[in-house]
Amino acid sequence: MSSLYSRDFIVTLIIMLIPLCLALNTDSYGQRIMTLSGIYAIAAMGYHLIFGRLGALSLAQGCFFGLGAYSAGLIGVHFGLSFLTCLLFAVIFTALVSLIIALPVLRLESHYFALATLGIAQVALLIAINWTEVTGGANGTYGIPQLDLFGVELSSSSDVLIFVWVILVIIVSLTFWIMRAPFNYQVTLLKDTPEVAASSGIDIGRWRLTFFIMSAIFGAIAGALQAYTIGVVSPATLEFQVMVSILAMTVIGGKNHPAGAVIGAILLTHLPEWFRFLETHYLIAYGAALLCTIIVAPSGIFGLFEKFIIRNPGYDVKSLPSKENKAVSDTNSTSLEIQGLSKTYGGIKALKNLNMTLTSYQIVGLVGPNGSGKSTLINIISGLQRQDEGTIELDGSFIENTASYKRSNRGIARTYQTSLRSSDLNVYQAILACSSNQHNLKHRHNQTHAILRNSRLISKTESMVGDLSTADARELDLCMALATEPKILLLDEPAAGLSSAEQQFLSTKIRHLAQSGISILIVDHSMDFLLPVVDRLICLDQGSVVAEGVPAKVLADPKALKLYFGNARS
Amino acid sequence: MLDISLQIILNGISLGCAYALITLGFVLVINAIGAVNFAQGDFVMAGGFLTVVLAEFMVADNFNPIRASGLIILPLVLISMACFGFLFSLIAYKPLKNRPPVTVFISTIAMGLIIQHSINAGFGPEPQIGPALISSGTITIGTLTISKQQISIILSASFLILCVGFLMNKTQLGRKLRAASQDSEMAESIGINGPQCISITFSLAIALAGAAGLLLSNQFFVTTSDGGLYMLKAYIAVTLGGWGRLDGAVIAALAVGLFEVIMATLVSYVVAEALLFAALLLVLLFRPSGLFAEAIQRRT
Repeated sequence: MSSLYSRDFIVTLIIMLIPLCLALNTDSYGQRIMTLSGIYAIAAMGYHLIFGRLGALSLAQGCFFGLGAYSAGLIGVHFGLSFLTCLLFAVIFTALVSLIIALPVLRLESHYFALATLGIAQVALLIAINWTEVTGGANGTYGIPQLDLFGVELSSSSDVLIFVWVILVIIVSLTFWIMRAPFNYQVTLLKDTPEVAASSGIDIGRWRLTFFIMSAIFGAIAGALQAYTIGVVSPATLEFQVMVSILAMTVIGGKNHPAGAVIGAILLTHLPEWFRFLETHYLIAYGAALLCTIIVAPSGIFGLFEKFIIRNPGYDVKSLPSKENKAVSDTNSTSLEIQGLSKTYGGIKALKNLNMTLTSYQIVGLVGPNGSGKSTLINIISGLQRQDEGTIELDGSFIENTASYKRSNRGIARTYQTSLRSSDLNVYQAILACSSNQHNLKHRHNQTHAILRNSRLISKTESMVGDLSTADARELDLCMALATEPKILLLDEPAAGLSSAEQQFLSTKIRHLAQSGISILIVDHSMDFLLPVVDRLICLDQGSVVAEGVPAKVLADPKALKLYFGNARS
Repeated sequence: MLDISLQIILNGISLGCAYALITLGFVLVINAIGAVNFAQGDFVMAGGFLTVVLAEFMVADNFNPIRASGLIILPLVLISMACFGFLFSLIAYKPLKNRPPVTVFISTIAMGLIIQHSINAGFGPEPQIGPALISSGTITIGTLTISKQQISIILSASFLILCVGFLMNKTQLGRKLRAASQDSEMAESIGINGPQCISITFSLAIALAGAAGLLLSNQFFVTTSDGGLYMLKAYIAVTLGGWGRLDGAVIAALAVGLFEVIMATLVSYVVAEALLFAALLLVLLFRPSGLFAEAIQRRT
């Protein structure tokens, strides 16, 4: 089941061990550079999590590195404690700082997040330079003791090298453990399509917080090691150059994989040695390498390696147990009550005091002209947008102010009109990522398999989701929604772009789902598709219900007729 | 006392005017491609060095003991920086135009590194001083003594800002640029060359950065490591002024310059910097759309 991942882990270990063994056989200068590689690899490992995996452009990684260096170094100098104690202190201190930063900053999006983290890094630099009594000011503080392990000083450069790389191996293992299936797929889904992830029950906030703090901790460990190996802390550790180096290492090595961080760190710390004619201007080469990588090979050196040498086989579905699972959990009667829902955009009222009830075993069709509020309604029920007024009650508890992912955990699932697709996942992985968190991994695999068996996609489990046709992408949307084990399923134009045969398949499937107890709301323009499927039809115009009831009744309603067919037929 | 405080305010306004040019360029690019040009500050620095070089060069050429004045060099700097900007868009933006904005962010960080350290390799880290715009010296009006340099900075920056306003709002080219910024595909469907418009926007933005570099080069010197700080100031002004708003950006940049000079005089430069970042974080915390309303809204 996790063979792919354990093989990945072994590949990473080999990538780490070969240069390490080479370095152990060189002189102490070579070993010192390799020690530096290990230190930067630890910092880059943290950056790979927050930037590579989650796509959040943090510019505070250099700051965390510097904070770790200062806190461990200053304690070592002033209190003479052992290295591991100082390291522990540095980690706790930096983690706390990152937690405080995270509270206001993490909810910001892309540029704002980058700017805010950069601003914080600048403040830290200003403090380090100007708080001379504590930090030593612009000259820094000298005389940090040597690395020691349980009272034994690590005096030779090979001891230090091995110590740093053992810590790196621990951190790489930890990273692999954090990113074990299906969490790796969830994180990928989160990075590419946050809305889909949230409505599939994945808690964005928790992942962002975890990864931000992990990146801070890894950065702090690297900084502490750096301070102890060179014996000095100075404002240079907080300068933007450190940040840019870590960024360049992560991107050039390959930002989507832990091995990339290691490769990038080894390459870029050795680059000034290999290109001595650049003297102190090696940052030009960093910049050029970064630019080339981002343009030519955005997944970095490890990405190329993966593509051409160890082609990713994906999951073998046939090897999974083919026990028949019920895709849908047993549901007692469920009901969703919407009362007095209103939403205004600027001066336009998208929804006006709307009331609606959805119950188990029932399929409700929602029709209305463009701009009548259909998509707004689905967005509000799924928690993507907030109502101005009104309540939503699911089985007796009010959920109108609950986060999107929590609503999904409570049984509300949805599909999207235009699917924003992630490209790094295949069909199987995307469905697995959405599978309900309540179950263990084996059950989640079984469930994914069961959903695929009832789907047209069974023959395309290994196709990348970006390569799917429109019809298949919509089918995948539905499968992902079903993986969350919904009680209420909201389908936003599920039949758009489908052929009549595909529509037929879909309507049969929807009817089966309703028979298993799910309550379904379908928004669609195609009456040919809707009328045979739905039990009840609601006609919406300018944010209010115009007509409601069995399809025949609504079709007989003059107001609904006028909306759909104009005056000619009345 | 009066003329000292007036002096400080003029100082602040002239710095703010230079910031306004940088920020305008920054916002133009944000609006055009939805991404941040992280190298904008390094282009300010590059413009400063270009000014220093051109001033030296023109002295040698004319057997003139006085260095060429900034005002004569300004058109040259504008034109050459615009060419750099066009080239820059071809290298750092064009290959990435269909990728997420964060990739452009990184490619511009990379370009910034290359620019900064190439110039550093050529000139070294020591500060260089550019020529005065017209001449140094002061004008005395009644009891007031005003430095000519500051007045000329304020006048030339205002002129350039007005030119940008005129270009964007009153000319056909400006309308095309704005159309391409708002919706590149839609603009192309009515016959506007979208990619070309974006390259022109980059030229304009970087020409403005270069002009700011020239204006700042006399009073504040030019150092290769300055870029990051200018970029940050522009970033702060954009956030305060409302992401994507040209008018807001200019006003906020003036405010940032004034605030920086006044605080630096009253307390210290470090306190001024720290307070600016604190203000930035507070704005991000409580009013992430900026003090003025946001011009571009993200569509869901």
